[in-house]
Amino acid sequence: MNSFREIDWPLLLIWGALSSFGLVAIYSATQGPVSHFLPDYIQQNFFRQTIWVAVSLIIIALIQFIPPRTFQGLAYPFYLLTVLMMIITVFFGVEVSGSQSWLRIGALNLQTAEIMKLATILAAANYLTSQRNVSAQNFRTAFTTLLFFIVPVGLLLMQNEAGIAVIFLALLPFMLFWAGLPHAITLFMISPAIIAYLSIISLAWGITASLLIGLTIFLLQKRSILAIASVVIGLLCVAGTEILLHQVLQPHQASRIEAFVNPDLDPRGSGWNIIQATTAIGSGGISGKGFLEGTQTQLRFLPEQWTDFIFCVIGEEFGFIGASLILLFFLFLFLRLLHLGYQHQHPFAQLFMVAVASVFFIHFVINIGSSTAVMPVIGLPLPFISYGGSAFLTNSILIGICLNLDLYKRSLSIYH
Amino acid sequence: MSINRKQQIRISFRVLQTVMVLGWLILLGRLVQLQIIDYDKYAPISQQNSVRQEYINPSRGLIYDRNGTIMVENEPIYSISITPASFDMSRIGLLARLLQVDRQQLVERIHQAQEYSWHRSSRLFTEVSFQVFSNIQENLWRLPGIHHQIESKRHYPLPLRASHTFGYLREATMEEYEQSESIRLGDRIGKSGIEMIYEEYLRGEPGIGYSRVNALGQTLGQFVDHDLTVSPVQGSDIITNMDADLQILAEQIMNGKKGSLVAMDPGTGEILSIVSSPQFDVERLAGRLDLSYWVELNQNRDDPLYNRAISSRQPPGSTFKPFMGLIGLHLGLITPETEIYNPGAYYRGRAYGDLADPGNYNLERALTRSSNTYFFHMMDRIASSGLLNEWSRLAKDFGMGERNYIDLPFESAGIMPDSTYMNNTFGENQWGVGDLMSLGVGQGMVSVSPLQMAVATSAIANGGYRVQPHIVRAIRDIDGNVSYTEPNRTRIDWLQEVDLETVQKGMRGVVTDGSGRWYANLQDIEVAGKTGTAQNPHGENHGWFIAYAPYDDPRIAVAVLIENGGFGSISAAPVASLLIEQHLTGTISRTHVLNYVLDFTYDDEEEEVESVDTVPEENSVSIPVVPEPEQLTPDDEMLNETDPNENF
Repeated sequence: MNSFREIDWPLLLIWGALSSFGLVAIYSATQGPVSHFLPDYIQQNFFRQTIWVAVSLIIIALIQFIPPRTFQGLAYPFYLLTVLMMIITVFFGVEVSGSQSWLRIGALNLQTAEIMKLATILAAANYLTSQRNVSAQNFRTAFTTLLFFIVPVGLLLMQNEAGIAVIFLALLPFMLFWAGLPHAITLFMISPAIIAYLSIISLAWGITASLLIGLTIFLLQKRSILAIASVVIGLLCVAGTEILLHQVLQPHQASRIEAFVNPDLDPRGSGWNIIQATTAIGSGGISGKGFLEGTQTQLRFLPEQWTDFIFCVIGEEFGFIGASLILLFFLFLFLRLLHLGYQHQHPFAQLFMVAVASVFFIHFVINIGSSTAVMPVIGLPLPFISYGGSAFLTNSILIGICLNLDLYKRSLSIYH
Repeated sequence: MSINRKQQIRISFRVLQTVMVLGWLILLGRLVQLQIIDYDKYAPISQQNSVRQEYINPSRGLIYDRNGTIMVENEPIYSISITPASFDMSRIGLLARLLQVDRQQLVERIHQAQEYSWHRSSRLFTEVSFQVFSNIQENLWRLPGIHHQIESKRHYPLPLRASHTFGYLREATMEEYEQSESIRLGDRIGKSGIEMIYEEYLRGEPGIGYSRVNALGQTLGQFVDHDLTVSPVQGSDIITNMDADLQILAEQIMNGKKGSLVAMDPGTGEILSIVSSPQFDVERLAGRLDLSYWVELNQNRDDPLYNRAISSRQPPGSTFKPFMGLIGLHLGLITPETEIYNPGAYYRGRAYGDLADPGNYNLERALTRSSNTYFFHMMDRIASSGLLNEWSRLAKDFGMGERNYIDLPFESAGIMPDSTYMNNTFGENQWGVGDLMSLGVGQGMVSVSPLQMAVATSAIANGGYRVQPHIVRAIRDIDGNVSYTEPNRTRIDWLQEVDLETVQKGMRGVVTDGSGRWYANLQDIEVAGKTGTAQNPHGENHGWFIAYAPYDDPRIAVAVLIENGGFGSISAAPVASLLIEQHLTGTISRTHVLNYVLDFTYDDEEEEVESVDTVPEENSVSIPVVPEPEQLTPDDEMLNETDPNENF
């Protein structure tokens, strides 16, 4: 076993910094001066999260004693076990606020979707790097990889957890891209999401984006068929979005999606969360209102302020200084993981770390993007900050494995 | 690992780095936009969001009498209001149950509120019981859009109303709200009386408080920010010149009668008591608008809302004679010694009746006996020598026929005819001496209010000063600073002391030897006065009495008008004497007079006989004078009906 001095302390420290900041924010969201208006089980969130942080730290430490090859070796069995757990959850899960995604084990409520995240990354990384050649250049490999993602996404949709499903869908192109999928194909894969997003904001943007992406694909791949297909699919996306918003969906469903563009259209309904969230962040100003002084937070104008909208608590109480500090921590987290992965000689470790960096990045963009009304509200926690034991533990395990892989990078490389 | 793959990984690494930094920069940019650029937009929203601004109504100033007795105070009322847009209509059953009202009635009230505004709060029910108020308060969380407030309404603790003087409050109209900076929609402001005139002092300034609410609208307590919170400034107290005891007596006396009275300090113009009867119950107009009562008041033929004391216009009758005398003396038509023979009527184209005993009369005796001839004679000379305008001007100097600027709204000027007025009424040069004769005895075109007569009487009592009548003595603000009103007091420059003395003696004689001797002659107080009867073509004549006392050092001047009361000597004089006795002695010793006055009625024919019978001396009963028929012109005919059969 290597010396603990070789552990990547910056990564561990950033984990500690984010977790601490998260505890402060959860404290403020659930233990404030008028918290007695909150239900009891929510008031206990801070204490539970404290325990989760402690437990996670121990688990991160324990992970460092595991031989790095184990992760690769156990990737498939763990994946199958987790899928089984998710199937059980679909039928016997506990329902929490409309989502049947919790599995009760003893006194614990486990969110199996979070564990699925870990399992999928492990399995996909293992599959992609165990192929003889650089894998994703081969389309069959790419499609097989897709299966690792389709299964959890399907199960998540059955659990009514579309939010977390988005993570899986967004992670796939990142992993395939790293694994060697041509850039043009990757762009082609993600283009519908980009085009649909821009179409919601404005029809013209959607059309412009389709054309630009088509052009880029043509320049990258020099294959006109792919470029034309991209433009056609892009325009279909634009049309599909329009039809979906204005024909298929009920007005209230559509307004939920469109609300981030113009929340004032329905300020008491779907615009409510967005108005309250941006108001909380905006009114924080540069230096914030002070710890436990945020009126939006303390007076419960924010929905789910200890989970999905926790960034608003920070934005309101600690202002731009606090919020941009969190942003900096996250930037450091992605770049550090990316850097560790890039430096690593072992393909599995490389892909795993890049995937972990990507998962955090996706969480980060969706969560803070929702809170600041840059995109439609998708309920996802902010890693290490939001309340939630399963998510915190899973995210910590991801960090722990990254630390482990980094710690053993020389011994791993020998076997390659 | 191939070199190719290594290079590919480096590119992928750079691409991912770029994507993440770009994504990160977009969010950072958004943060800059929200927290730095748009801070000014969001800060106030969050402020309004979590902190509900509420006006704290100032308590309205109290109204005191001259001795420091509270006449008007405030009492709390509880009200429930609604913001229709936030109200959940499915809770209507619960709300009706809590309010203890019929569901249908509640639905109607809510519809009314919706018609006013969906987004502003309207009062649903005011003056609910404390029990209902507490029920609502406890269940507020189940009733979004429902609010509760404690407000206040006027309360009148003494057995006096002085409704016309105090005035009532009513919700400010849209125009008033738009014109004033300090009136908020829904504020109640004074609409009559001193509540209206002194509105800006009484109202005070509303405070602004903040309470914290959460997203569910639950109030979490007071939000204290000393930069924002504005304490309400209590309205200033009004200290009036009124004497509460005198007012109570005056209202008691006037109850059931139609008429009005004014009692004032002749030296200063301070109004001691002022009553207009019938009056309305200002207490019933204090709280929630009692629509049926309001309609009843407006439909009442006697018009209780009308302030007779300052707005009515009636001929002064013989109470005009003292002033006529002073004018005659000033114009040189007579001297105090001038004697004029009364043969029983004054002849000028026709006979103008005079019920005083035939004989020679000087001014003093003419006043005491109320001989008409003496004054017809003077008016004849005024009319014949084109002095009408001069006469009118001099009479107005006493305060008759023009406004006296009392601090009450709706004061009327009355009429003191001059040539312009006569031209307007009869047509250019279509009038003559015959149309003016009756003016000499206060009949015909001339009309005055009891207030004007009180002011004029004060001038005789105080040695020739025109005083400005005023209800309010001082305004005391919340810090105890007292500022006194500064009424005008000017010498009527043409009045001579000697002339005044003659008239004063004549008026003293009215009480000792004349028509005032039965009811107005007090044992211990020297009273001077003059009775009068105003011709009323529509019914029983109106009785007047003007008086002041004590004779040597007057402290009270009174003018009383009892409509349809018949002779002033039996209707108005006893009222005035009771007021004088009460004010100067603090009590009423002549209970028989009080009882007589309380029972006094003179509304219809049968009672007319009865009340005439109560006059102690038979020679006081008037015998109508029949005018000579051949003298009649169309104009005269009209005059005739209103012509004097006047003797008191």
